[in-house]
Amino acid sequence: MAVTVRLPGSLRDAVGGANKVEAKGATLEEVFGDIERRHPGFRALVLDDGGAIRTYVNVYIGDQDARASGGTKAPVSDGAEIMVIPAMAGG
Amino acid sequence: MLPVGLRDQIVAHARESRPEECCGLIAGRGGAATRLIQCANAHPTPVFRYAIDPREQLAAFRSMDDAGEELLAIYHSHPASQPYPSPTDRAEWHYPDALAVLVSLRATEPELHAYRIADGAVTEVRLEAT
Repeated sequence: MAVTVRLPGSLRDAVGGANKVEAKGATLEEVFGDIERRHPGFRALVLDDGGAIRTYVNVYIGDQDARASGGTKAPVSDGAEIMVIPAMAGG
Repeated sequence: MLPVGLRDQIVAHARESRPEECCGLIAGRGGAATRLIQCANAHPTPVFRYAIDPREQLAAFRSMDDAGEELLAIYHSHPASQPYPSPTDRAEWHYPDALAVLVSLRATEPELHAYRIADGAVTEVRLEAT
């Protein structure tokens, strides 16, 4: 399955400055693994040591919040657009 | 560059939201601001903190893409404190390519300043009014 992963904010730096990358995988975990192979260090920015999506990151597969769809086990369909959005927050 | 009209909109948003913090985005093209995207403050303690709902972020990014715009800045207000990024602002900043625009209402006249925050370091950026 080929998908597009869009990366606004600080995550761009982890993939060489691009705001989107093409990747392959049938689940979110596989997609992130595919990006990690080409851009080592990416996975650790979006997933914690236990493999869960980091709290400061929100991931949408199309319009679906990945956390509500199985987290990293969430299925992705061919041609899907995945958006990984760092939080906007402060004090 | 920040058009005076957008500056006024940010100040108005801050005043309407007081005593809570307001927040939103500034979209632009080629480094020039085009419009404000006001957001709701979704943080549970909005008097001291701000957070933009992820769904609003998703909608905003799509809207900017459709309009050929980019994210220029994220703005928020400090209703009673200085217009400078707090330790929380710095710790939770994940947009090194965007500016942090802060408006303070601590004085009679609103104070608006812009900063670049990268790796925890804060650098003020002069905003030219147009």
